[in-house]
Amino acid sequence: MDSDYEAYILLLLSDGNLPTGSFVASSGLESYVTHGFFGASSSTSQPKDKLSATTNFIRDSLATYARSALPFVYDAHKLAEDFLSEYMHGVAVNRGEDMESAEADFTALDNLYEAMTLNDVVRRASKAQGVALLTLFSKGFSKPPALRAFTTDLNAARREELATKLVDHLKLQIRRERILGHLPTCWGVLTAALNLSLERSQFLHLFLHARNLLSASVRLNTLGPYAAQQLLLHAVRPLVEIEMQNCKHLRSGYLRPSLGNAEPLPLDGLDETLHGPANTWPLGEILAARHDLQHSRIFNS
Amino acid sequence: MSLGSSHTPLRQLGSGKGHIALGSSGSEAILSEMSSSYPMKLLSPKVPGDNVAVVYILSYGGGLVGGDQTTLTVEVRDRTKLVLLSQGSTKVFKTRPGARLSTPSTGGSSSSITLQRMDVTVTSSSALFLLPDPVTCFRSAKYHQLQTFRLAQDASMVVLDWITSGRRSLGEDWAFSRYYSLNEVWVGDERVVKDVMLLEEPQTQVQTLPSRSVPDRLAPYSCYAMVIMYGPFVQSTMRQLSARYQEVSVFKQSSPPNLLWSLSSIRDGKGCVLRVAALETEVVKDWLSHSLSGFEEVLGPDVYRRAFV
Repeated sequence: MDSDYEAYILLLLSDGNLPTGSFVASSGLESYVTHGFFGASSSTSQPKDKLSATTNFIRDSLATYARSALPFVYDAHKLAEDFLSEYMHGVAVNRGEDMESAEADFTALDNLYEAMTLNDVVRRASKAQGVALLTLFSKGFSKPPALRAFTTDLNAARREELATKLVDHLKLQIRRERILGHLPTCWGVLTAALNLSLERSQFLHLFLHARNLLSASVRLNTLGPYAAQQLLLHAVRPLVEIEMQNCKHLRSGYLRPSLGNAEPLPLDGLDETLHGPANTWPLGEILAARHDLQHSRIFNS
Repeated sequence: MSLGSSHTPLRQLGSGKGHIALGSSGSEAILSEMSSSYPMKLLSPKVPGDNVAVVYILSYGGGLVGGDQTTLTVEVRDRTKLVLLSQGSTKVFKTRPGARLSTPSTGGSSSSITLQRMDVTVTSSSALFLLPDPVTCFRSAKYHQLQTFRLAQDASMVVLDWITSGRRSLGEDWAFSRYYSLNEVWVGDERVVKDVMLLEEPQTQVQTLPSRSVPDRLAPYSCYAMVIMYGPFVQSTMRQLSARYQEVSVFKQSSPPNLLWSLSSIRDGKGCVLRVAALETEVVKDWLSHSLSGFEEVLGPDVYRRAFV
């Protein structure tokens, strides 16, 4: 895909006003602050301390999220990409069957994420944002009928049509509660549907995780809006880059039902203990799960 | 591997295999198999109670070293309950204590990893209670623990997995090199839990920010525990925990509490995941001993007393 197109898609997806439900998620930050991890009451501590406390939270949160979620973005993106390219190259003969196997693969991947996310609050937030992303694609990014006739690139038009079918199908299965629809797996599908490369997709996913934490900080009043921008430019960028370096190649290790026994090694033979998803921040797990125990709270997670 | 040979090089890799099979005859639990090889040792004391057996998993020399590998296979059948315990924490050394510093390294990263595997099968109406002491990884140790539990639909399971920050008397504060713990729970054909915890210093640090290490990330706590519970035998304990959890109401605090715990459900309440962290290991132990005391009814007080000593 040409980089102008990708840059344009990145602009759209990084819009903070996209209705993806991320504005009600603090990913455990609110609970972290309430439980005293920012030190003394936030009204008396120095802005400098709050800046470094926020940076620390972003680092630990981003590191564990990258290690546990990026493998799922990878595999979901690949799965959707395979589905779309098989059609494009005329490999798939029976359309219905292939949608079924894409659905079966997605379900297996999504269920693995559920089994690895042992936290009621995180699961709830992840599912809410996952389905919101697919809805965003269907309603916000699909081509309006009035414009469908005007196309110069038949291949691109065909791909768009297939992507819409795939996303609509998955969304329907989530509504029917046959699929859970978690954030990283839906993100992988959404970005593949938009023809964004895997690497851009992963980078943007981590960037948005970090930026949402900064937005939450501003709402929680632990950080001013200017300080949040400073961190976004000077702290988040190197952190996202390093987590990309550490985690972009990791795989989830799920078994694709569509491949049957053809792929006995889910991680392409790689050692799961080195190349699989993992949680790296047990403290963050406990605090995120305790979100609902806060006497008063402004976020949903 | 021969135990008798004193000429065995200290660095030679241990490869302990163990097998436990518990069945029943009448109302008595019978260990139809209990075998192990160096460096693993299994011991079963006689305990009172119907259809309950206790097995201690021990290691020679009171610890494991880099390169040690153990694989324990466990089967729990015939409506029995198996309690697996340890005696004191599982100590993981980088090298065998007393080994000369000049001992040549065998090189290669995987050879220095200590690996403990456990594969457990629990059949219908039977139960496994895995309640060991915590793992303590010493400075520079690398430890992998891979545990898989396969349950029949109405089997039960309690698995405690916990780690301490090291030997505090020697100033160790999360000073090991790598800790990787995997717990996978299958119920029938479905994988309901896959918990993976990895604690390791990042290979590359961000140059433009102050350094941040594992101890920074886990402070102020020096012990983290997780309990996975599943099945009919854990329901009443789970209900007690859940009622207690829902009563907690957190007001804004000025510093982190001495102990933190959380509870999340799995499979619509058929099981749960309990996590606890505290400043001191003893505090976690006391808290767990008290909070899980509902298992006394399932195991009998004499058996339950053996855990959390």
